[in-house]
Amino acid sequence: MSEIAAKAPVKPALRRLLVSRLVPYLLLQALIVVATVLGLRLLQPSDPDDFALSEFSLREDGVARPVTLPHFTSSRYSLADPPLYTGAFSFRRDDVASGWSVFLPRFSNAVEVAINGVVILDSRRDTNANRPDRNTPQIASIPSSLLREGANEITVRLLVWGPLKGFLDTVYVGPDAALRPAYETRTLMFVTLPVVFSAWQSILAVILAIMWLMRRREPVYGVLAVAMVLGVVQAFAPPPVPPVNTSRLAAVLLASAPIESALVVVFGVLFFGWRWPRYGMLLFAPGLVVFGVGLIAGPPLPRILFLLLGIPTVGLCLLLMACVTAAAVVRRQDAASFTLGCAVTIVLICWVHDMLSVFEIVTNERIFLSRLSYSAMLVAIGAGLTWRFARALNQVDSFADQLVTRVREAEERLKASFAREEERARAAALANERTRLMRDLHDGLGGQLISIVALSERGHEGATITDAARAALKDLRLVIDSMDDIGGDLMLALGSWRERATAQLRPHDIALDWHVAMPQGLPLHPELRPWHVIQIVRILDEAVTNAVKHAEARRIAVTIETVDEGQGPYGVIKVADDGKGFANGSVPVGSGGATDASQTARGLRNMRSRAARCGAMLDLSSDSSGTRVRLQLPQVFPDSDAAVG
Amino acid sequence: MTEQGETGEAITILLVEDDAPTCWRLHDALVKAGYEVRSAGTLAEARAGLGERAPRVLLTDLRLPDGHGVELIRETRQRFPDTEIMVISALGDEESVISAITVGATGYLLKDAFPTDIATTVRDLVAGHSPISASIARFIVRRTQGSAQNAAEPPPGPALNTARLTPREIDILWGIAKGFSYAEIASHLGLSRQTVPGHIKNIYRKLEVHTRSEAVFEAVQQGLIKL
Repeated sequence: MSEIAAKAPVKPALRRLLVSRLVPYLLLQALIVVATVLGLRLLQPSDPDDFALSEFSLREDGVARPVTLPHFTSSRYSLADPPLYTGAFSFRRDDVASGWSVFLPRFSNAVEVAINGVVILDSRRDTNANRPDRNTPQIASIPSSLLREGANEITVRLLVWGPLKGFLDTVYVGPDAALRPAYETRTLMFVTLPVVFSAWQSILAVILAIMWLMRRREPVYGVLAVAMVLGVVQAFAPPPVPPVNTSRLAAVLLASAPIESALVVVFGVLFFGWRWPRYGMLLFAPGLVVFGVGLIAGPPLPRILFLLLGIPTVGLCLLLMACVTAAAVVRRQDAASFTLGCAVTIVLICWVHDMLSVFEIVTNERIFLSRLSYSAMLVAIGAGLTWRFARALNQVDSFADQLVTRVREAEERLKASFAREEERARAAALANERTRLMRDLHDGLGGQLISIVALSERGHEGATITDAARAALKDLRLVIDSMDDIGGDLMLALGSWRERATAQLRPHDIALDWHVAMPQGLPLHPELRPWHVIQIVRILDEAVTNAVKHAEARRIAVTIETVDEGQGPYGVIKVADDGKGFANGSVPVGSGGATDASQTARGLRNMRSRAARCGAMLDLSSDSSGTRVRLQLPQVFPDSDAAVG
Repeated sequence: MTEQGETGEAITILLVEDDAPTCWRLHDALVKAGYEVRSAGTLAEARAGLGERAPRVLLTDLRLPDGHGVELIRETRQRFPDTEIMVISALGDEESVISAITVGATGYLLKDAFPTDIATTVRDLVAGHSPISASIARFIVRRTQGSAQNAAEPPPGPALNTARLTPREIDILWGIAKGFSYAEIASHLGLSRQTVPGHIKNIYRKLEVHTRSEAVFEAVQQGLIKL
């Protein structure tokens, strides 16, 4: 229910969007159509009408009739017996200082002009003039010897090769100075400009091809490069002129237009980020058919096919392109799609214009504009792509700059946070250390000092206070000593302990036998912390103190060894005395009293809890032959104090 | 019973300690052992005492009311090279002992040592046996490692140049730091037991910084001072 309810408002929204975006775009295109049509009218080249020659007699198929130029003749496929236009003009030698010329603004496909029976112009020699899509004008100066005072005869033989109809525009005969400017204007527009565009296209083709080679992921550049190369080949290859029969070249030239237009559609689809559908390849079929037929069959079949297949394909492609750009405009609303859309509309108008001209629906001077406008569009697209590429480079640059800035900022932040973290860690370590120190001092030094105070207050003299004070000093040294970095080598701590213990035992005349099984003593423990050391040393202290105070031992043996039973080495420290021992937890043999017993019991408890805190195992056995303490060190000392709190 | 030097005269000791009970305690223990002891409570008194006649042994506390014991040790070392010098320390911590060693002291005496130990230590010292404790040996050998690893950053604690110590001497220090007796060290290293004290005396001499300029030179060598 809710899904349907949610979906329902989407469609009207989509429609609103479509309307709000498509309608303005279509209006804009309509405006462009109007502008283009007006522009074409305005750009129509003007001819020197004073020297126009329109009244001709046409002799065709053995029949002569008067015609008015511009004139269409029927399409034909044979060069034999071409239509012959005969006209007359008058010439007065006094009028002119310069020579006279004949100017033919537009004809198709070729003309042979004779003045008074002498041929002065054959347009087939000019390759540009042989292109029906180029609107090439021709001018020829009339040798003055040919001109007669008064009436002169001009004959124009119109050579037509189908399927297009033959066409002959108004002929101008007059002083060269009057005709030449009009000729130059037409040459500039219909000959030079296409060459300029083609040159431009070839440069862009190279640039785009390089871009595509460097960025294979973007076939859009490659597609456009191929289209441009085809266009350049079409523009510069000389067209075959009947009766010369170079059908292969004709195939290439004829096939180029539909293939190019299909490529442009591919470009449009890829450029706007769509996928090119597989069936889209059908768009290339007409061009390939024309090409194939051109290779096999001789003229005029390829030309007929071109007219039937190629030109509609071009129109279809233009229409598709217009749809693609319109869709892109609706979706993207960006400058690229708008610009391309307008360009496509202009080309489409020109194509329609050409079609109207071919079918003589609109009578004009049969000026074909498709090729010219298409070339202009391609150049515009190429320029746009190059611009986009440069802009992308700029974006990369600024992105790199941004990245550098960002990285620097992140680095600063990281540094600050690292410093903060370090500060916090240091504070935490300091706090931990303080806690540990407090506990250590509380365990040893504090208690001993309090006991000194208590003993002094009760008026004790001598040995007891001295012992307590010495113990306090010893403990102070132990705490200080344990804070030193011993690099995980417990032997270094035991070395100091041996010194202190020896000094402690000397007045009691107790010998300390020190036996280290192996030169390296105990395994290294990188994880060893001061509080582990303190616990172990205090256990050993307790064992020695017990031996001195309660067991009346004469000799204490400390054995240090590393045991490895195949599961990694661990250390064992043994303290054995030859005293009288005590029964575990009970009153010592040869009782020193209840106080002694409770002190011993407390001492044992302390030893056990200390051993447990640093993960060691304590074994204690005692009999009348002495007491043996075996402290088995863990393989890895625990990280945190197991008995905290 | 009087302890006598090679010349047959009584061995004289100058004891510099500002805390009266400690001073009495040490004084008593030394006199009892047969030494001729003069006491001084301040740096000035000690200098005056030095002026008369060179003592065989100087025992001095470091913190004195009118100055630092290091000054006294340095002066004594320069004026009377034959005088044996020891520092009196409450805890035997590296901070005080090492700084004394670098100006010429060859060992330390704990303030709470038993009277017999006090006498024994001084006797050994006069006999040429400089005592060294496990914690001091440990400090020195760890400094030799530290200076090898990172010369750029001076380690905490007093400055100490261990560059002149030989590997053998460092081995001996390791042995002492780990609590081995001289005999055990000698057997581990294949030495004669009697030569170990001589090695230790050498170690002290090598750690000593003789003059101010040499101290600067050493400091530069160690990278403690940047010129």
